[in-house]
Amino acid sequence: MAVSSPPAVATAPKADREPGAGFNWAAVLFMAPAALFLAVFLAFPAVYTVALSFNRARRGEFTEWVGLDNWIRLFTEDPNFLRLGFPPSGALWNNVLWLVFYVSLCVLLGLVIAVVATRVRYEAFIKALVFVPQAIAAASIAIMWRFIYSPDAETGLMNSILGIFNVGPVSLLGSPDTVNWALIAVGVWSSVGFTTVILSAAIKGISSEVLEAARVDGANETQIFWRIIVPMVSLPISVVAVTLVVNVIKLFDLIYVMTLGGPGAASRVIAFSMYQEAFPAGQFGYGATIAVVMLLLLIPVMFFNIRRFRAEAVQQ
Amino acid sequence: MRKFRLIAPVMAFVLVLAACGNGEDGGADGTGAPEGLEEGDGSIVVTSLWGGAEEEAFVAVLDAFTEETGIEAEYEANRTDYATVLRTRIQGGNPPDVAIIPGIGFLRSFARDGSLIPMSDLGINREDIEGNYASGILDVGVVDDELYGVMVKLNSKATIWYSPERFEEMGVEPAEDWEGLLQLTEDIKAAGATPWSLGAADGWTLTDWFEITYLKMHGAEAYDTLFSPEGDWTDASVQETLDVIFGELLVEDNVDGGVDGALATAFVDAIGQVFSTSPSSELYYGGGFVGGIATGQDVNPDLAGQEGTAIDWFPFPTVNGSGEGLVTYGGDVMAALVADSDVAAFMEFMTTVESGQTWAEGGTIISPIVDVDTAVYPTTLIQAEAEQVTSAEAVRFDGSDLLPAGPDLGALLQSALRGEDMGSLLEEFQQQVTTAWEQE
Repeated sequence: MAVSSPPAVATAPKADREPGAGFNWAAVLFMAPAALFLAVFLAFPAVYTVALSFNRARRGEFTEWVGLDNWIRLFTEDPNFLRLGFPPSGALWNNVLWLVFYVSLCVLLGLVIAVVATRVRYEAFIKALVFVPQAIAAASIAIMWRFIYSPDAETGLMNSILGIFNVGPVSLLGSPDTVNWALIAVGVWSSVGFTTVILSAAIKGISSEVLEAARVDGANETQIFWRIIVPMVSLPISVVAVTLVVNVIKLFDLIYVMTLGGPGAASRVIAFSMYQEAFPAGQFGYGATIAVVMLLLLIPVMFFNIRRFRAEAVQQ
Repeated sequence: MRKFRLIAPVMAFVLVLAACGNGEDGGADGTGAPEGLEEGDGSIVVTSLWGGAEEEAFVAVLDAFTEETGIEAEYEANRTDYATVLRTRIQGGNPPDVAIIPGIGFLRSFARDGSLIPMSDLGINREDIEGNYASGILDVGVVDDELYGVMVKLNSKATIWYSPERFEEMGVEPAEDWEGLLQLTEDIKAAGATPWSLGAADGWTLTDWFEITYLKMHGAEAYDTLFSPEGDWTDASVQETLDVIFGELLVEDNVDGGVDGALATAFVDAIGQVFSTSPSSELYYGGGFVGGIATGQDVNPDLAGQEGTAIDWFPFPTVNGSGEGLVTYGGDVMAALVADSDVAAFMEFMTTVESGQTWAEGGTIISPIVDVDTAVYPTTLIQAEAEQVTSAEAVRFDGSDLLPAGPDLGALLQSALRGEDMGSLLEEFQQQVTTAWEQE
């Protein structure tokens, strides 16, 4: 009902107007400022970037049309971006690792902490504790963890602890085998507070009658967690997951401060490659190509998000 | 806004073209400074990435310039992301008047982007200044047969740093050939110390290692070819060089913190491992600038004044009997981004003995200008470095700075340090280098 009625209302006053005025000028006027800003700051740069990706683009201007050269080079000749093989590597693959492990660990840990915290009296304290990293700037987090991971046991917390057990010193950021995992761990540490707080609020919204009914029916706590709590907070989980996915695709600051994409190019991610190629290397066309790849990856996520918002609007 | 940002560089480019045209006319008249060159506003901005003692020494040169010409010269330091900031300023239509560009790859890229003013447009012709420099120095600033920049400072990259006092305690002496260096490494271990400090987290410290060793082993001609568009990284000479460095010398037991520790150690920290108040290793190979850093605020200011006893260097040895008198060096090139009379005056000033002398007194650089008296260098370490460069049989510019932007030689060498199989990596690198030369 709600969906079909507005057009009916809208057609009635239109009939009273002069012929030919089938266009709502007031609406255009009100939308114009927003549309203008979107056109100037979003649509134009996006189109410009796509066009740049087919150009050599010296100084970021259109200088020489190169067709698909940038695209072919990116996917077939640039091992720092994508190297197929076993195991695959490159910036794109690193983003896949982030996507799988960072998103799932953040959601899972957030959920577990939220459920466990609701059962203790010092819940507020626990939530405040895990939320603290959210209040720290990403660059500060990166510098903090660079100290923690330092192979020098005098400055590195991790290695001074390992030293007590006569292990190490190990250099997690110095080896291409461990660097991505070390960085993902920092990412999870910094984002778990966000997922905990959102999911905790959602769990509180589950009516206690549902949980009591389940207990009366003989469900144990594991069953309640997987069969009752998780399904009932599935919508907030998907909201959180989508936010985290967007975070991963945009990821830059942590990498830039902690490793500069190194050792070598082992910890590069897409956004870092874009920066590296466009600015220090001055290949704006090539950098634009990577930017377009990021855009293409984000579109399905956004599409999913908008679809869900529409669905919610209809439900209400 | 976006539209205006696009117009600005175009406008700037048009202005520059206009200025270029005039400049050439003036040059053709043979009147020295081109007549058509736009009159400057009495001040210039020079950017570079130096801070600390290096900055102070350079500001003294700028002051000398102001005193002589009355033109104000302001120094702007961009310590990190130098190329990024410079590119953004150029794109925004607001370039600095003069930029000191680290790396010839960057110089070529900026020149081909059309962002640099050729020296001839400023009324400075190569033949007029050629006599001030050792042969080959000016070639470094040439892109597509046009002189765009002039090398203003350099450092030897054939120096191995150590502490004479601690060497005496251990009863060891500097090495003169590769066998001697391997023996020295063993002797230091036998004395209960760790031989080598390595700042391998900064990939360029490894490229310096590779360049000097390659030059010594295979000679200047092979070196020139390798770092040109004709270079072949899959050539056996590359693998041989890697085997010598990473197979014989810089192996797990010889390096402070082991290979993994070295890969996580930054360049200044590595200098600290040898020269801080609590040293953990004995040898550091790096450019002549290591002396200034080791005795500076970042590492150990107490060392200043103890040159020759607590800190000294010995020349990088010959490798397998070859490479006597061959030296690699690194340096920065100055280029103009704005064409006006003030900039022309500054560029001209920087080619004079006076500017070289003033700068040399600061003790952070070796001046490429031949008539600078080595007596003006404030410490014996720098005097010796200047003599090493001027008396060398042949000097070769830092090869990784000659490569086009993109392929990461440092990363490749980090893999070699980790002991990875280099065959496929070198093939991959060759492909990247080929693409990068084509893309320039």
